[in-house]
Amino acid sequence: MAHEQEKCSKKKIQYPLDSNSYKIIDEIGVGVSAIVYKAACVPMNSSVVAIKAIDLDQSRTDLDSIRRESKTMLLLSHPNILNAHCSFTVDCCLWVVMPFMSGGSLQSIISSSFPDGLSEPCIAVVLKETLNALSYLHKQGHLHRDIKAGNILIDSNGSIKLADFGVSASIYEPNTGQGGWASSSSSASRMMLTDMAGTPYWMAPEVIHSHTGYSLKADIWSFGITALELAHGRPPLSHLPPSKSLLMKITKRLQLSDYEKSNNQKDKKFSKAFKDMVGSCLDHDPSKRPSAEKLLKHSFFRNCKGSDFLVKNVLSGLPTVEDRFRETRIVHKNGSVDGEDEEDPESDSGTPIVKQRRISGWNFNEDGFELDPVFPTESREKQRESDNWDDNVVKQVRFGGETIIQDQKSDNSSDSNSGSPGAAGDDQAEIEAGNIEIIESESNVDGGGDFDRETVVGGLMTLRRSLDEQRQQVGDMIAMFGGEVTREDQLVQLVERLRMEFENERQKNFELEMELEFLKLQISGACTDN
Amino acid sequence: MKGLFVKSKPKTPPEVVCKTRTLLVSLINNAPEFRGNKREEKMAELNKLIRELKTILYGSSESEPVPEACKQLTSEFFKGDTLRLLIGCLPKLNLEARKDSTQVVANLQRQPVEAKLIAAIYLEENLDLLDTLRSGYEDTTMALHYGGMLRECIRHQSMAKYVLESEHLRKFFDYMQLPSFEIAADAMATFKELMTRHKSTVAAFLSKNCDWFFRDFNTKLLESNNYITRRQSVKLLADILLDRSNAAVMVNYVSSKENLKILMNLLRESSKSIQIDAFHVFKLFAANQNKPPDIVNILIANRAKLLRYFADFKTEKEDEQFEEDKAAVVKAIVQLELIVN
Repeated sequence: MAHEQEKCSKKKIQYPLDSNSYKIIDEIGVGVSAIVYKAACVPMNSSVVAIKAIDLDQSRTDLDSIRRESKTMLLLSHPNILNAHCSFTVDCCLWVVMPFMSGGSLQSIISSSFPDGLSEPCIAVVLKETLNALSYLHKQGHLHRDIKAGNILIDSNGSIKLADFGVSASIYEPNTGQGGWASSSSSASRMMLTDMAGTPYWMAPEVIHSHTGYSLKADIWSFGITALELAHGRPPLSHLPPSKSLLMKITKRLQLSDYEKSNNQKDKKFSKAFKDMVGSCLDHDPSKRPSAEKLLKHSFFRNCKGSDFLVKNVLSGLPTVEDRFRETRIVHKNGSVDGEDEEDPESDSGTPIVKQRRISGWNFNEDGFELDPVFPTESREKQRESDNWDDNVVKQVRFGGETIIQDQKSDNSSDSNSGSPGAAGDDQAEIEAGNIEIIESESNVDGGGDFDRETVVGGLMTLRRSLDEQRQQVGDMIAMFGGEVTREDQLVQLVERLRMEFENERQKNFELEMELEFLKLQISGACTDN
Repeated sequence: MKGLFVKSKPKTPPEVVCKTRTLLVSLINNAPEFRGNKREEKMAELNKLIRELKTILYGSSESEPVPEACKQLTSEFFKGDTLRLLIGCLPKLNLEARKDSTQVVANLQRQPVEAKLIAAIYLEENLDLLDTLRSGYEDTTMALHYGGMLRECIRHQSMAKYVLESEHLRKFFDYMQLPSFEIAADAMATFKELMTRHKSTVAAFLSKNCDWFFRDFNTKLLESNNYITRRQSVKLLADILLDRSNAAVMVNYVSSKENLKILMNLLRESSKSIQIDAFHVFKLFAANQNKPPDIVNILIANRAKLLRYFADFKTEKEDEQFEEDKAAVVKAIVQLELIVN
């Protein structure tokens, strides 16, 4: 308690609320409508801070969500959570002043210096600190909704903080739900949210299938994916750009994934405790996933090292956040650089990419320590116990204002795809073409990860036929218009097409009228001549 | 020993309230038990009790809230002066307890006891508490907590009426421009709630206070130096004026030359969001069937500029309603000349 009060009084240090008090040192992250700076707070001995400048006129997020986010950040107090010092407006930008975390995000560290992932003892430290933050958040009734390495920051002393509450939601906040207050008396055990937020690779199945609603356990799923991300250097399937057709991802993944190969070569071994811990987070049934608090007691965290261990094994020799950011900028010259360093500014500004996903869930293959997609099936042989995947019908899922992280890593195709909006548009089109049913190709659920080749190939063949059919139907439309296609857009495009047809007809009509007019003239001319 | 005993026999909801109240009384009076090295222990106990209140009202991850327990808690809470004590003690509590308290107070506002919202009945007899909560905006450490509580209280119509008609309402114009974004935005959220939730109350208030209210609204909010203030206030203005219950006020507003000038300036803002919201107010001036001569004169004097402006004026996404409105406005402006000439 004294500890908490101490923090309270510490928080009272009032940072200046005008831009003149801050001197921008360098840019360390950039998103669609936000830039993160490293800056010095002049009146406070030029202490270093991070400033996230959100362009409110550009940002698609409404002011009320921004208000709630900054309020959340201000009212949370935990050593593992990145607080805002203060925030104020500068013209049409909102400046959020935060502590500067000199190590940057774990994602940026991995992509610059640990492409194959961190060692298990390091992962344990990072995850444990993250769990502390998560446990606090959940006790407060907050969901983070965007847990990933990109949102886990590290300071020079090795301390870990969870950042970015751009999409966080509170189950106590009556304003987050719709409907009148009389009906909205929320209860903690019912705390279900139905709108969608987060980043697709890390998203829990029930978040994707939002009709069932989701709760705190969705964060636990993302936490499990984050563990895989730290272990392998990237989240499952992320070696393919998120905007690419999922079918492409799947075929690649099952056949010649460089991801698997590289892992086989390195023959990375993980402890049973780690696998077990991650496995429990990735249970399809949210109610079976352990709570953050329970996870902290898992044997994997028992002999966890301290933050010094991270300083020695992760931070030493690391390029600075600024340098790493510059590097990524050079790689992604075509704009749209992922602001993955200090923060992930894109997540709250929300790249308005709408995409569709046709995986009904994931299977965690504990032996391979991988996550395998599950496809909806017509002839399902093994119904999983109490499984709630009623997705024989492939659903269209909208990701409202989600962030699609541009793939930062070794995959070349992602580089060529992530930059220009045009390319992204094509990818969207590809996704759209695949509004199909996918035959379940996995046969093994709990145990080993052996795939039945025949089933897989058979499934893929059906898949392909089905795809071709669909593609034909949608193809011409997409070819004409490109861009992202949602149900709404489809209608818009239909209208557009009809309009074009109408335009054509009118053109024809016009020509005919002209001809008629011309003929009339000729006739009248002939008449007067006569 | 005592600790063990308490643990083995869970307190009933009214007991939790009573115990909380006793501790709050001691805390507010700075009683001996809250002095010296005992203070920490007592504070911890109080924090725990407040957390317990919250758990009863909201349930936990394991259990739903029990209506009967909530009812008992609520009725005991308001039987004593617990709300006053809690509000008074809030600055002495730590951050977590403040947050819990805010949530407890919010929840209590909607707890029915014998089909009555006894929170409203209590507040009606303790209206000064609303002033205390409102003045929280003047204290950076308390603003968000008191502000959150206030917003819950003014969901009751009579409370909203009280705050609207209080002489302190004017202070909101200043609160909304405080440099701290969170506090200014919170004040704006409360102000918006005041001005939009209870239609009849708002209409009655505006018809009586039209003059000073819109004068302050114009100069302090619409012409503020702060981008967010301008953006939010012009949106709020559109919400207020377009509400059918405020029709009389709207007619009054769009007959003023000064108001028109301000809106025309807002149309010229570089921010698209402000332009669009300003348009939704501007269109009312143009659509007014009985435009006063000076309004007509201004519109005619700027006719060419306005028409050119509207020719390029588009929303980001196609918006049929907007286009329709725009066409109507353009038509009205074009026709003006015909009438006058």
